[in-house]
Amino acid sequence: MNVSLARSTTVPSDGAAQNGPGTMAAPLPVKVEIRHVNFYYGKFHALKDVSLPLHDRRVTAFIGPSGCGKSTLLRILNRIYELYPGQTASGEVLVDGQDILSPGLDLNLVRAKIGMVFQKPTPFPMSIHDNIAFGIRLYERLPKAELDDRIESALRRAALWDEVKDKLRQSGLGLSGGQQQRLCIARAIAVRPEVLLLDEPASALDPISTQRIEELIAELKSDYCIAIVTHNMQQAARSSDYTAFMYLGELVEFDETEKIFTHPAVRRTEDYITGRFG
Amino acid sequence: MAAEHIIKSYDEELGRLNKMIVEMGGLAESQLAAAIEAVAKRDSELAAQVVEGDAKVDDLERELDNLAIRLLALRQPMARDLREIFAALKIGSDLERICDYAANVAKRSIALAQTPPIQPVHALPRMGTLALTLVKDVIDAYVEKDADKALEVWRRDEELDEMYSSLFREFLTYMMEDPRNIGACTHLLFMAKNIERIGDHATNIAEDLYYLVHGQPLTEVRPKGDKSSLEVVAPDRAGAR
Repeated sequence: MNVSLARSTTVPSDGAAQNGPGTMAAPLPVKVEIRHVNFYYGKFHALKDVSLPLHDRRVTAFIGPSGCGKSTLLRILNRIYELYPGQTASGEVLVDGQDILSPGLDLNLVRAKIGMVFQKPTPFPMSIHDNIAFGIRLYERLPKAELDDRIESALRRAALWDEVKDKLRQSGLGLSGGQQQRLCIARAIAVRPEVLLLDEPASALDPISTQRIEELIAELKSDYCIAIVTHNMQQAARSSDYTAFMYLGELVEFDETEKIFTHPAVRRTEDYITGRFG
Repeated sequence: MAAEHIIKSYDEELGRLNKMIVEMGGLAESQLAAAIEAVAKRDSELAAQVVEGDAKVDDLERELDNLAIRLLALRQPMARDLREIFAALKIGSDLERICDYAANVAKRSIALAQTPPIQPVHALPRMGTLALTLVKDVIDAYVEKDADKALEVWRRDEELDEMYSSLFREFLTYMMEDPRNIGACTHLLFMAKNIERIGDHATNIAEDLYYLVHGQPLTEVRPKGDKSSLEVVAPDRAGAR
């Protein structure tokens, strides 16, 4: 796999902000620098020496066939894998220069900084209000008025406020799938993270809800560094600035989205995105 | 060549698009060849056939556009597939223009055949033959998806430009020598310009093919040999007398 070649044309290995070769304005600084990350499910080598940057206030999409390691990589970024026995990661994941994989680091602080939304909406069996308050209370003690403000602003940010403002005390489980997913995004951003990880956030949603989520991603990227895993190639093309193509645990190509979808440098990427993958 | 798509009908549709371009290219060649022959042999019947044949190319272009739009809408093409469809749309319209110019040449040859033959007519088929070679070569390059071959055509258009420039001067001289030549030479001048434009469309096709293959536009500045638009036309004193 030609990772180093593909990378060297676009992203400097030191991770410093540089002008890309494409039409986009100068990328913002790197928020997350993934360096030589390896991951094992027991003995299975699921990620092989993956290195790439995630730029601040940009959306990076991860694409690749099932089992290529893209979700695994996302799970490493907030150390969820530690909840399971036999799963180990090595390498470095620098968030603002600090290695979040280093054992001494407080996990709660990592997760406050890095929010995650999953494929299936995961509202808690409690009211819409409490779904969001729950996350905030884990990290902060806020006076009630301030907490309510924070909840309203998170719901507004997630483009859900107008639909739920009159039923905040009703169960989050009563919402539609698309609304539940936006509730989960609201819950993730209510704790004011800096990085947002979205693992196939729209794969279980209808096209209209999907477009709402994509519009939301476009809005949120002005404040966050966003990584999205998706099986929907058009979604990656529409909503990301950078795209990483992974295959069999390796990063095959990483570049500006526009370049990946018009003339990728690596044949395997081209075969995958044009539907020629055998 | 690229591997096959998982969805076979996608390959079939792209193949059809490809075939339509080649068919249009073949028609452009035969239309141009017939137009040149009509000029050389003063064959008005052949010229009329060329004029009539233009409608077929227009139909093909419409069909090509429909297929390309359909592919864009239904397949959401990416990377090379996308470039292939984009190039086909542009090449299709260039081929249609080439056929228009061939039909124009044929049309004027009918008028020309009704005037007494004049000497410079012989220069026109020579120019036409070079244009025909450019069209033929660029279509071959398309069939083989050979960007280097396309680049060669792109560079060789300069020769056609130079030929046009020199014909331009030659026709002017004939007109100045004897005003009775003005009618025929004006037709010839327009025909030469049409053929020169055919060369430009062949270079457009070469550029589209280059983009299709390499994924980036050809940014070099093309050598131009046509200086006729900068020419000052004034009879010298002796001629004005």
